[in-house]
Amino acid sequence: MCIGTPFCYVLCALADFRHSRSAGNRITAVAAMLLGSTLLANTTALLAQELPASPAALKKLSVEELMNIEVTSVSRRPEKVSEAASAIQVITAEDIRRSGATSLPAALRLASNLEVAQIDARQWAISARGFNSTTANKLLVLIDGRTVYTPLYAGVFWDVQDTLLEDIDRIEVISGPGATLWGSNAVNGVINIITKRSPETQGVLLAAGGGNDLQDFAGMRYGGALGGTARYRVYAKRVDRDSSVLPDGADVSSAWHVTQGGFRADGERSANETFTVQGDVYEGRAEQPTADDIELSGGNVLGRWTRVLGENSDLDVQIYFDRTHRRIPTSYAENLNAYDIDLQHRFGLGDRHDIVWGIDYRQIEDDIENFRAFAFLPPEVSRRWYSAFVQDEVALIKDRLHLSLGTKVEHNEYTGIELQPSARLAWRMNARDLLWAAVSRAVRTPSRIDREFYAPAAPPFVLLEGGTDFRSEKLIAYELGYRAQPADALAIAVSTFYNDYDDLRSIEHVAPPAAFPIFIGNGLRGESYGAEWTADWHVTPFWRLRGGYTELRVHFDHKPGSTDTNAGTNEAHDPKHLLSLRSSLDVGDWQLDAALRHVSRIDNQSVPGYAELDLRLAWQPLQALEISIIGQNLLHDHHPEFGTDTANLSSTRKAIERGLYGKLLWRH
Amino acid sequence: MAPLTVPVHATRVLVSLMLMSGLAWSAPAAVIPATPTREYQVKAVFLFNFTQFVEWPADAFAQADGPLVIGVLGEDPFGSYLDETVRGEKSNGRRLVVERYHRLEEIGNCQVLFVSRSEADRLEQIFAHLNGKRILTVGDIDRFAGRGGVIRFATTAGKLHLRINLDAARSAGLTISSKLLRPAEIVSSGQE
Repeated sequence: MCIGTPFCYVLCALADFRHSRSAGNRITAVAAMLLGSTLLANTTALLAQELPASPAALKKLSVEELMNIEVTSVSRRPEKVSEAASAIQVITAEDIRRSGATSLPAALRLASNLEVAQIDARQWAISARGFNSTTANKLLVLIDGRTVYTPLYAGVFWDVQDTLLEDIDRIEVISGPGATLWGSNAVNGVINIITKRSPETQGVLLAAGGGNDLQDFAGMRYGGALGGTARYRVYAKRVDRDSSVLPDGADVSSAWHVTQGGFRADGERSANETFTVQGDVYEGRAEQPTADDIELSGGNVLGRWTRVLGENSDLDVQIYFDRTHRRIPTSYAENLNAYDIDLQHRFGLGDRHDIVWGIDYRQIEDDIENFRAFAFLPPEVSRRWYSAFVQDEVALIKDRLHLSLGTKVEHNEYTGIELQPSARLAWRMNARDLLWAAVSRAVRTPSRIDREFYAPAAPPFVLLEGGTDFRSEKLIAYELGYRAQPADALAIAVSTFYNDYDDLRSIEHVAPPAAFPIFIGNGLRGESYGAEWTADWHVTPFWRLRGGYTELRVHFDHKPGSTDTNAGTNEAHDPKHLLSLRSSLDVGDWQLDAALRHVSRIDNQSVPGYAELDLRLAWQPLQALEISIIGQNLLHDHHPEFGTDTANLSSTRKAIERGLYGKLLWRH
Repeated sequence: MAPLTVPVHATRVLVSLMLMSGLAWSAPAAVIPATPTREYQVKAVFLFNFTQFVEWPADAFAQADGPLVIGVLGEDPFGSYLDETVRGEKSNGRRLVVERYHRLEEIGNCQVLFVSRSEADRLEQIFAHLNGKRILTVGDIDRFAGRGGVIRFATTAGKLHLRINLDAARSAGLTISSKLLRPAEIVSSGQE
């Protein structure tokens, strides 16, 4: 009898096989459950890069607003975003507010280079350039420099990644490898969430509202002075969400709520020395259909110290501690502590070289409580990562042709030393056109689920024997991109890529043709290619239109000797086309925003393609007050975005309902 | 087992993708000066703002109805952006004009002087030369304000901040509006 936890699908599926000696294709389903679909878990902006600002636009800003503009960028050195040789899109605070998004994953829909699929009220599948699943493992996600992926499966528990959305300064989304600068797991992309500095969040902010699907939410922040130049803020928020529905419209217990609070303090010890201390704590509960509630809690604290060493040189030291607790009754419980210390130094060398290097040490202590169906063994582990990187940006022709060469060297306890080099070339053809190209190598190092996952929970492991020899998944990525501003009010960008993967995860049979036991191997190769287009058009000063279109293909092949019968169907659930159009209109004190998205069919899950529309109408009667109503997914009563819908196995597919809510925002 | 297909040579794939994208590869019509970085775009607009928020004594201008001159000393980081920023703008009825200087002797009757980073090594010499002149000196060199400049652009956490040396402003006879002073950090000579 299935009791509805993600893992219980595995249990059900496995139990099913004990009674029936089924054929290999059904193993596909089980394996998919194990590794892909059901495990555990769960852009105004830019379209891309910001338009190069015209003097007229910048002159409209106040002194304070000018001071608020970010003048440094992705490759960790001062430069225009549009010069960065990567497929970056930036989601701004304004974009998030105008999208009506009420969660971080929903805000990520603003980046058209991401695949964002909502699974149910709580869970999301998010990836870039393919390989999406509920346990998508090729994306690196950072919140204020803190890595939030879990060593359990190298993916992200999106249900506990949150902050006061009004405090987010911007979200940088890079599709394509970022491993050289950012590290392992930045295989297909990097999501870098950056919150505002405390001086920019002074005073009171209150946000509250409610509706049908998102039942009610409330958030508050207060920012004040600590003495000298130091400023702080504290915040608290609570969100309650209603259950999602099954594809037939029937309710399925998945309501949940999270309460979260946190603080941040920023100060300067001298003109050239700044520091930041910040932290968050959260606690929440989520319903499961027929088992006790899932318990979620955690917290983190981070310190960062930055010193300007000279005209063209700075030093940055960051240290943090992150603790997470998750208990899914009948599946597993986890207590995870992560410690991380990171140092970076940038300096100019002569006239033409800009060098950045850094070292990082990371340690985790992961303690799993196993139940009966499956187990992570050994239950308790401590692991260490050491890494160092160096990158040199050489001005081959100053301000015209720049080459970045760099590599990351990382040591992990599973596979030893991994090298992740990259070469990026940016050619600014003239003031309006930039062409860039890159070749990079990135690896996805093993996580606990690849190596240490067994079923049943105690020997003999007649179903799943772990993956003791699982190696890193490897990628060589070739990218070519072009950005242009054909007219003052229009910016366009296209990024194309060809990704060549080796040693991808596969489900191998111990004694074929016997279906079981299985083990986790590296029996697949893959290739993917595609293109990401964006356009940003300021039609008038009051009306802005943005569009994004992504086209993607992913193919798998078996390596010699592999006994895998899935051919990657559990690793990648991707639509071939993603289209988004957004309109932002200002009329006096009123704002009208519309976002239309079309996502094509996910073939291997038979999720139909869909189009959905979000609308937001906001009125700002006072400088301090904004009242808005938001409609989400307005075109259908409910629609599925992700998950298999197999009759003989518990369905993992839920449907997302139309949502309506109102919101009050007070800032003083 | 499925036979392994050898991936097509990557460059060919990329080329075809680019073709697929339908982009026209027209050569740039003319080589125009590169736009400055975002950092210097914002700094250029700040220079314009300074002309709106600072009052010069009457004797700062050679002619009663002469233009207000923004000078750039050393390597020009702004390109044509600064000229575009001030085009058609006025300060107290005076036209705004941008001039560029490479040697100290070239500095004529200017009211705002941006000292480029290329001049970092001879900052003391520059301030000595300008001593007593009615000039708003602006720069982004280390400790620019503490060493005697009026306004320094400092970059903290990726954003620009102003550091203003009021003594230096006073000795140049300048009055700075509270609109500029409020968000700025006040420093004094020797203490930045």
